[in-house]
Amino acid sequence: MRAPAEGTLRRVATFAATFGIGVATYIAIVEAGGGSPICVAGGSGCQTVAESSYSHLFGVNIAIFGIVGYVLLLAAALLRGDAARMAGFGIALGGFGYSLFLTYLEIFKIEAICQWCVASAVLMTLLFGLNAVRMVSYVGRPA
Amino acid sequence: MSGKSSREARREERLQAESQGDSEERRRRLLQIGSAAVFLVIVAVAVAVVITQSSSDGGDTSLEDVALVEQELQGIPQEGLTLGEKSAAVTLFEFGDLQCPVCKSYAEGIVPEVIDSKVRSGEAKIEFRNFAILGEESVTAGAAAIAAGQQGRGWNFLDLFYRNQGIEASGYVTDDFLTEVARGAGVPDIERWNKNRKDEAGALRLVQRESEEAQRLGLTGTPSFVVAGPGSDGMEVLGTPGDAGTLERAIEEAS
Repeated sequence: MRAPAEGTLRRVATFAATFGIGVATYIAIVEAGGGSPICVAGGSGCQTVAESSYSHLFGVNIAIFGIVGYVLLLAAALLRGDAARMAGFGIALGGFGYSLFLTYLEIFKIEAICQWCVASAVLMTLLFGLNAVRMVSYVGRPA
Repeated sequence: MSGKSSREARREERLQAESQGDSEERRRRLLQIGSAAVFLVIVAVAVAVVITQSSSDGGDTSLEDVALVEQELQGIPQEGLTLGEKSAAVTLFEFGDLQCPVCKSYAEGIVPEVIDSKVRSGEAKIEFRNFAILGEESVTAGAAAIAAGQQGRGWNFLDLFYRNQGIEASGYVTDDFLTEVARGAGVPDIERWNKNRKDEAGALRLVQRESEEAQRLGLTGTPSFVVAGPGSDGMEVLGTPGDAGTLERAIEEAS
């Protein structure tokens, strides 16, 4: 199967990373104000997840790491060349792995699902897919 | 074509082939790096899951009846220290002290009977309230139960605590004991539970408020039962009935 054009992959990745920045920023701002994200479909999953000890890593809210990750992914999507392809793949892979771990924590440890975390996990999965296809299909080739 | 220009053309072709070879070699190397990164992330996620799993497993617990408690409460909704359907018309309140041996015998006999006959069916819900009369350790234990309730495991904690109760005020209510009970009760986030149970303005204050409420109701010992429902005159004090049948009848009359 032929891979989509690199330009298309980069454009979709740009949109996904921008949405990701929005989601992570919302969670970070709400939690910095002492609250928890509002679950759009109701329920208290978002509050339970936000109050859990897993919502912080080294004392820093994980949404902050999310913002940094998505900004780097946005930069990788906007730049050309092998460095951007490899960096985009590496960051998306790390983010995807971490999202998997967080989803495991939500289901089996915290026993609550936060829609905002699910949204972020879906975006990170999409970004991982896009960056993986971009890397495998175009790395080592002219930009 | 002269010999010279033909040599140049061959040289050009060779350089081009070399450059293509270099580019393929570079691509192969980068793809290898990518594959190694995928492998590393898979290993990292697996290790993180195993570490998290082992740090909060009931695992090698020395507690008794962990499985029995789980089985007894399986399928019954709970919120805070309330067990049963939220919509149940009648509420049976149990004012207890986690250190009290009589409460333990009720927790092992009479209360499970009422849970099976009236709570599981949705006829009534049962709410545990602390009446801490046996000293500071009762307050500590009560707050730990409230914190477990904040993670949906309040009744598992109460039941497991009672079934592993020590001699009152003997100093057995240690952080280690409480943590073991919390793990056995399936409290998912032990770190959060630890923070919540020590919250002066939260769980500890609530134990004090509930104990004050018990005194206002005129209760004199533990466990004491109170019933409230559409057929009751507000909160009706039942005292400490010696059998499940009395509690079941009180629930029926209050419904």
